[in-house]
Amino acid sequence: MSTASTAAAAHSQATPQVRPRHRKIYWRRHAIHAAGAALLFLALLPVLWLVLMSFRPNADVLGAGLLFVPTLDNYRALGGGGFPDSFIHSLLASTGSTVLSLVIGVPAAYALARYRFRANKQIAMWILVTRMAPPIAFTIPFFLAFTWLGLMDTVSGLILIYLTFNLAMVVWTMKSFFDAVPRSLEEAAWIDGAGVWQAFVRVTLPLAAPGLAATGILCFILSWNDFFFALILTRTDAMTAPVAIVNFMQYAGWEWGKIAAAGVVVLLPVLVFTFFVRSYLVRGLMAGGVKE
Amino acid sequence: MTAATWSAEQRRAFTIGLAPALIVLAAVTLGPAIYLVATSLTPLTPLTPGSGLDFSTPLANYSQALFDSSFVHSVGLQLELSAITVGLQTLVGLGLALLLNIESRFMEAVRTGFLVPMVLPPIVVAIIWKVLYTPNISPLYAALGALGISAGSLVTDPTWALPALAVADTWEWFPFTLLMVLAALQMMPKEPLEAARIDGANAWQMFWYVRLPFIRPALTVAVLFRLIDSIKAFPLIYIITNGGPGQATEVTNYYAFIQTFNFAYWGYGSAIATMMVGGVFILSLIVARLGGTQAVGE
Repeated sequence: MSTASTAAAAHSQATPQVRPRHRKIYWRRHAIHAAGAALLFLALLPVLWLVLMSFRPNADVLGAGLLFVPTLDNYRALGGGGFPDSFIHSLLASTGSTVLSLVIGVPAAYALARYRFRANKQIAMWILVTRMAPPIAFTIPFFLAFTWLGLMDTVSGLILIYLTFNLAMVVWTMKSFFDAVPRSLEEAAWIDGAGVWQAFVRVTLPLAAPGLAATGILCFILSWNDFFFALILTRTDAMTAPVAIVNFMQYAGWEWGKIAAAGVVVLLPVLVFTFFVRSYLVRGLMAGGVKE
Repeated sequence: MTAATWSAEQRRAFTIGLAPALIVLAAVTLGPAIYLVATSLTPLTPLTPGSGLDFSTPLANYSQALFDSSFVHSVGLQLELSAITVGLQTLVGLGLALLLNIESRFMEAVRTGFLVPMVLPPIVVAIIWKVLYTPNISPLYAALGALGISAGSLVTDPTWALPALAVADTWEWFPFTLLMVLAALQMMPKEPLEAARIDGANAWQMFWYVRLPFIRPALTVAVLFRLIDSIKAFPLIYIITNGGPGQATEVTNYYAFIQTFNFAYWGYGSAIATMMVGGVFILSLIVARLGGTQAVGE
C-alpha cells in the first residue's frame, strides 16, 4: 500500500499534465462522497420507515404522514404478552450456542492452523458444505430426533441445531486468525517447557483476542437472526423473538404498531454488534469464500 | 525431551484439540445427513406407524418427484428467482462498488452503513417489505397515489409476485457483492490503472480490460455464494406471499417445507431436501475449486 502510493506520488511529479487534473479530482471526490451518502440514505429508507412506524400513535399507525406525536405505546404493549420471554429465549439460545461453538471450535481451528493433518482438505470441504447446506435438510432429521429425545421446544435443542452453522463458522474464521499469528512466539514458549495447549492459552490466544471477539459476535448474530429452525423446532416454551413477531400477525390480527416495535427491538442488538465487528463481518459471512 | 518424542507429543496434542469439534460436527451434520437420505427412501409420515422403516420401494419418492408437476414447477420458479435476484444483486453491487471506490474515512462509514440490510434479522427484512408491498399501509403506494398513479398489489399478482420477492431479496443482499468487490478493488495495485490511463484508455476500457480481470475471482465467488443462498430464501416468502398467489412463489425450498410440515409427507420432503443438498454440494465443489477451501485446507 505505502509503496504503491509513493510510487504513484513519484509518478505524478514526473508527469507535467497531472497538475491541472488536480482540481477535477478534488471535485470528483466530493461528488462521489455525496452520491455515496445519498445512495446509502435511499437504501436505508425502508428500515427508517419501520422505526418511524414503531413510534406512531395507534390511530395513525398506517399513516404515511411524517408529522405525528411520537409515542412509546407500541413498545409498552410488547411488555404484556409472551414477547419478553421470547426475547430471553433468543438471548439464551444465541449465547449458549456461541459459547459452546467457541469452546469446541477454537482448539480445532488452532490445530488445523498449526498441524498438517492428512485429511485437511476433506475437513475443509465438509465445513464448506455445512455452511452451504439448506436448513430444511437439517430440520427434517432434527425434528424427528428432537421428538424422540424430548428436545422439541427447548432452548437446549436450539443451541444444538445452531451448532450446525456456528461450529463451521468458528473453525473457518478462527483458523485464518491463527494463521496470522507468528509461530515463533509459541515456539519460544515450547522451548521454555510449556506444552502445546499451555502455549496456546498463554501466548497465541491473547494475540488472537480481537478475532475471537469478532467470531463470537458473528456467531451470536447468526443465531439471533435465525427464523426457520426456531419456527419449526419451538412452540411456546422456547419460542424465540423472531417467531414471536410472526404471532403478532397470526393470532391477534395485524398489530402493525407492535410488529414494528418488536422488529426494532430485535434488530437493535444486531446493529450494535455489527458496528463492533464491521471490518470482520464480510470475511465471516463469506466463511472462507476467498483465498487468503 | 528428544525431537522425536516432542513431535509425537505435538501430534497427540493437536489431535486431541481437533477431535471434539469433528465429533460434534459429525453428530450435528453427518448423522442428520445420513438420517435424511435414509428417510428419503421411505414413505415416512407420522400418520402411518412404521412407515419410517419401510424400505420396500426405496426410490418411490424420487420417481414421484419427476412426475409431480408442482415439484417441477417449483424448480422452474427457483431458477427464475435465483436468476433475477443474483443478476440484480451482481449488477447493483458491482455498479455501486465501482462508483464508491475511493478510500476515505467518510467512505468507510458509508460502507459500514451498507452492511445494515444484510445483517438485519431476515424476519425484520420480511416485515419491512411486507409493509412496502401492502398497498393500504405502504409509503410507496402512498407516494404513487399522491402522484395520481394507482397501482395494484404486486405480491397478489401471479406474474409479479416472484419478481417482487426478488427485489426484496436483492435489497437484502446486494451489499454482499458490493463489499466483496470493493475489497477486491482496493487491493488492486495502482500501476496498471496508471499505465492504462497514460495509454489513453477510456472509462469503459479501464473497467473491462483492467479492473474486471482483477476483481473477477472475488465477483465469481460472490455470485456463487449468493446463488447458493438464494436457494434457501425462506422468511421473505413465508411472510409476504406464503407461496402464493396459487403456487406462484412456491420455490423448491418452500415446496419441501410445505410437503413436510404442512402435509406431513416426511419421506417425500426428505427426498426433495436430499436433491437440494446434492445441488448445493456441486455448487460448493465449484466454490472450493475456485479457492474456497484454501483457507482451511492448505
